[in-house]
Amino acid sequence: MSATDTRTGPVATTGPAPGRPRRPWWTGRRRDQLVGYLFVTPQLLGSVVFVILPLVLVVWYSLHEWNVLAGTFDYVGGDNYAQLAEDTNLGGVLKATGLFSVGLVVFNLALALLLAVLLNQKLRGSIVFRTLFFSPVVVSLVAWTIVWGFLLQDNGGINGLLDTIGVDGPNWLRGENTAMLSVVVVQVFKNVGLNMVLFLAALQGVPGELYEAAEVDGASRMRQFWRITVPLISPTIMLTSIITVVGSLQVFAQIAVLTQGGPGTSTTVLVYYLYQQAFQFHHFGYGATLSIVLFAIVLALTVLQWQMRKRWVFHES
Amino acid sequence: MSRDLSPRTKLVLYGVLMVLAIPFVFPTWWMVTSSLKPVADIFSFPPQLWPTDPRLEAYQRVFELQPFGRQYLNSVYIALVVTVGTLAVAALAGYAFARIRFRGQNVLFLVVLAGLLIPSEVTIVPLFQMFFKLGLIDTHWPLVLVPIFGAPSVLATFIMRQFFIALPGELEEAARVDGLGRFATFWKIALPLSRPALGAVAIFTFLHSWNLYLEPIVFLSSPEKFTLPQALTQFVDAYGGPMWNVQLAAASMTALPVLAVFVIAQKQFVEGLAHTGLKG
Amino acid sequence: MKTGKGLRGVAVALVGALALTACGGGGNDAGDGGPAKLRMSVWSANEAHLKLFNEIADEYRKSHPNVESITFDPLPFENYTTTLTTQIAGGNAPDLAWVFENSAPDFVSSGALAPLDETLKKTEGYAYDDLSPATTKLWQDGGKLYAYPFSNSPFGVFVNTDMLRKAGQRTPAELIASGQWNWENALAVAGATAAKSGKAGLVIRDFDYKGWDNLSTFFTGWGAQAWSEDGKSCGFGSPEMVAAMTALHKGIFTDKALPGPGTTADFFAGDAAMTVTQISRASLLKEDGFGWDLVPLPAGPKGNYAVLGQAGIGVMKKSPYADEAADFLAFFTNPTNSAKLAQFFPPPRQSLLTAETLGKTNPKLKPEQLQKVVVDGITNGVVKPSHSGQAELSQQVRAGLDPLWQPNADVKAVLDGVCAKIQPLLAK
Repeated sequence: MSATDTRTGPVATTGPAPGRPRRPWWTGRRRDQLVGYLFVTPQLLGSVVFVILPLVLVVWYSLHEWNVLAGTFDYVGGDNYAQLAEDTNLGGVLKATGLFSVGLVVFNLALALLLAVLLNQKLRGSIVFRTLFFSPVVVSLVAWTIVWGFLLQDNGGINGLLDTIGVDGPNWLRGENTAMLSVVVVQVFKNVGLNMVLFLAALQGVPGELYEAAEVDGASRMRQFWRITVPLISPTIMLTSIITVVGSLQVFAQIAVLTQGGPGTSTTVLVYYLYQQAFQFHHFGYGATLSIVLFAIVLALTVLQWQMRKRWVFHES
Repeated sequence: MSRDLSPRTKLVLYGVLMVLAIPFVFPTWWMVTSSLKPVADIFSFPPQLWPTDPRLEAYQRVFELQPFGRQYLNSVYIALVVTVGTLAVAALAGYAFARIRFRGQNVLFLVVLAGLLIPSEVTIVPLFQMFFKLGLIDTHWPLVLVPIFGAPSVLATFIMRQFFIALPGELEEAARVDGLGRFATFWKIALPLSRPALGAVAIFTFLHSWNLYLEPIVFLSSPEKFTLPQALTQFVDAYGGPMWNVQLAAASMTALPVLAVFVIAQKQFVEGLAHTGLKG
Repeated sequence: MKTGKGLRGVAVALVGALALTACGGGGNDAGDGGPAKLRMSVWSANEAHLKLFNEIADEYRKSHPNVESITFDPLPFENYTTTLTTQIAGGNAPDLAWVFENSAPDFVSSGALAPLDETLKKTEGYAYDDLSPATTKLWQDGGKLYAYPFSNSPFGVFVNTDMLRKAGQRTPAELIASGQWNWENALAVAGATAAKSGKAGLVIRDFDYKGWDNLSTFFTGWGAQAWSEDGKSCGFGSPEMVAAMTALHKGIFTDKALPGPGTTADFFAGDAAMTVTQISRASLLKEDGFGWDLVPLPAGPKGNYAVLGQAGIGVMKKSPYADEAADFLAFFTNPTNSAKLAQFFPPPRQSLLTAETLGKTNPKLKPEQLQKVVVDGITNGVVKPSHSGQAELSQQVRAGLDPLWQPNADVKAVLDGVCAKIQPLLAK
């Protein structure tokens, strides 16, 4: 609907050379294009200077062996990339990254949507709950993670709680699978409020009449949810899923505090691994190479989601 | 989905919500109450839900140990500048990407989107080098410029685009019939309609700036220029061990006002959507 | 889609911007000749520390007008080395920096630091020979000193005597008196106390089944080493290490003398009977808390031993004011100022390492405790394991040791696995 109708542009009438049936060059459409470019210029310039340029520099670093302490910066060509194939840790790291991201995205989106739907009911005090669910977002990440680390200890609050109902809880942060689960859950509770708010905003834009009509047709609540709610909020689902996928690949501080990538390397996700290589092991060149790998993965996933949007996002089809 | 519920359903709903709220609330509760406890009680087991001997000493120490008021001001003004700047940049770009057709639109959008995909750990070293050459180390410029134009504002642009896409085209059509130009349409029609989206973006952006951690510790070195998350790391005892109660007091002071602002603003931006004309 | 033009435009913009930043090269700000501005990176933001540092700096500047300012940059303790490295990588290195013992070999051998001995030796009244050789060893390379070990904190055992008495156990002081203070008895006492009190027995502080280098306070007693003296071969598979780790494993999983993995107990909050930690932690003891004692580490099968944690101050070689920085360091650590710093950081100077001097600034500790744990510890101590590429090694060892913290672990197999992982790194 956004295509401009050239006939109504006020400038369109001033240009045409007399006697020729040619369409004017300076049309409303062209003017509109210019406005479009002007509107995106600040963002675009910013992206080039603060995102693309640093990224190009990272590519440049990845072609070098850079020892920061010794101050050496030597061109090594594709050596760092060849090292990827020899890196015995990388397989495990990629597996951990995949597990973490899938777990986080599924759990986060499901919980966010559930909370949003619950809070969208006509219910007194829903604002109070909305605030409670959102509150972790503003709490300092470090404080949040420390408290959870404390709760997840073998003799911590969670197992104390499980004990009262007769369940012998696992040693959460020390078992390979439970450690991953714990990191995912702690991260979801911290940030699910953001997605919840976006979903809430979207849900409130769904016209009530649609449900009334469906009710008349005898559709069940579940059916209404899948046939009316989901399609109508699909742009928001698309938005949150991209943000969450991308965000899941950037989670770092929580892992540093809770598990330091352990036990073994079971929670060493890619961004933590590249941080270790670059900043702790002083292999800046290899760290830069891993950054490029990470970027490629995120880019591929995003392009995939972007391509799929036409299939399932209601407003863009 | 605003149908009336039976009292029974309501009761079940309250129960579910209350249980769900526990994992969200307990850590914050612990943070605030622990800031009132003497250090030795903080990690006692089982955890004390209420301080046996509450004291405000830690809150006083926060201000003695660091120029905390100044640091608070830094965080507030940086976050506000970043929020306003981001709203301007993102609203314009989001609108253009959603509602104006221009050549190379999709490619340009992907270029911008790339910013969303790069963790700050990746670009911190090149950014540091750039700002160092510009002589802007130990100033607030990197903390303002990077979020307004770099990765964080990309998210904002993305959100704005998604909202503008859902805007009914008839409204703009009508504006054009009334003789409004493109900019006037944006300013008088689209922008007021996008209030809830702007609210969401404002909250995201403010919080992002407010919680920024890696960038301040890398770019800033004078305590009077520090921001809050960075200041939180500075409350340590003589041996580098954290002074837990002071840290938690500072963390509580960092979180609670923002929470208060959220409580006030949320009605505005979550429910604002209902009044924007998007219905029907 | 006609994307050609758009893409080309972006590419042109990029190349232009890149060219702009590529010019200018590295190099530090300001040139030589002008008044020096010195910056020292530290990981302590403690107000008492900074106050003392600034006092010393102010005094120095009075007699040295060529130094315009001296600032102390507190970086977060947790991210200290990372932040420092980022600053160095970005071309904004400090002039002086604190260095952790675990990154000492990296800093010393990389050539990032300037040698100090000449400046220190020629400084009037410095008394270079007063520095205890045991403390400077880690910070030397090829006979030159690259950092001054300003902080030397030995490990000792803090004991909650109230808890031990209540559990009817002999206290370490009694065991020492009868010549029976060894790990076997220490673990037995810890296990029995834990069983009786329901609290934790002995806690190796900051180990938490991750910070394995703190275990050197334990395995050194068996004569075990993480790696050989020259750093080339792995020591985890040695019979000594297997014996030590078997004893530790039994202590954790059979005797429950140490809290298991994922369980934290804070000695200073009264949750544990004993803790192995650096003596500086005495400040965490409350005035009106439980009765406590500080004793040396128990003897291992190889007899008595001591373990030491260290921190050094180095001068960055690339600093345009490297000479001024070294001169200031000589002033900062001269005998007078060392005595002042001794209230926070046990000094490397033999003349200051007496129970009497240390007692003045550590009022909570008795002279006997100071003599046995601090003075003897610094003079005879083995520094915690460190190696160039420590962070990477440390990470591999941590991951390799993880399978050991299971009740039915095969100690020998796990330790051999650790060696298989780190040997290639050591051989580099």
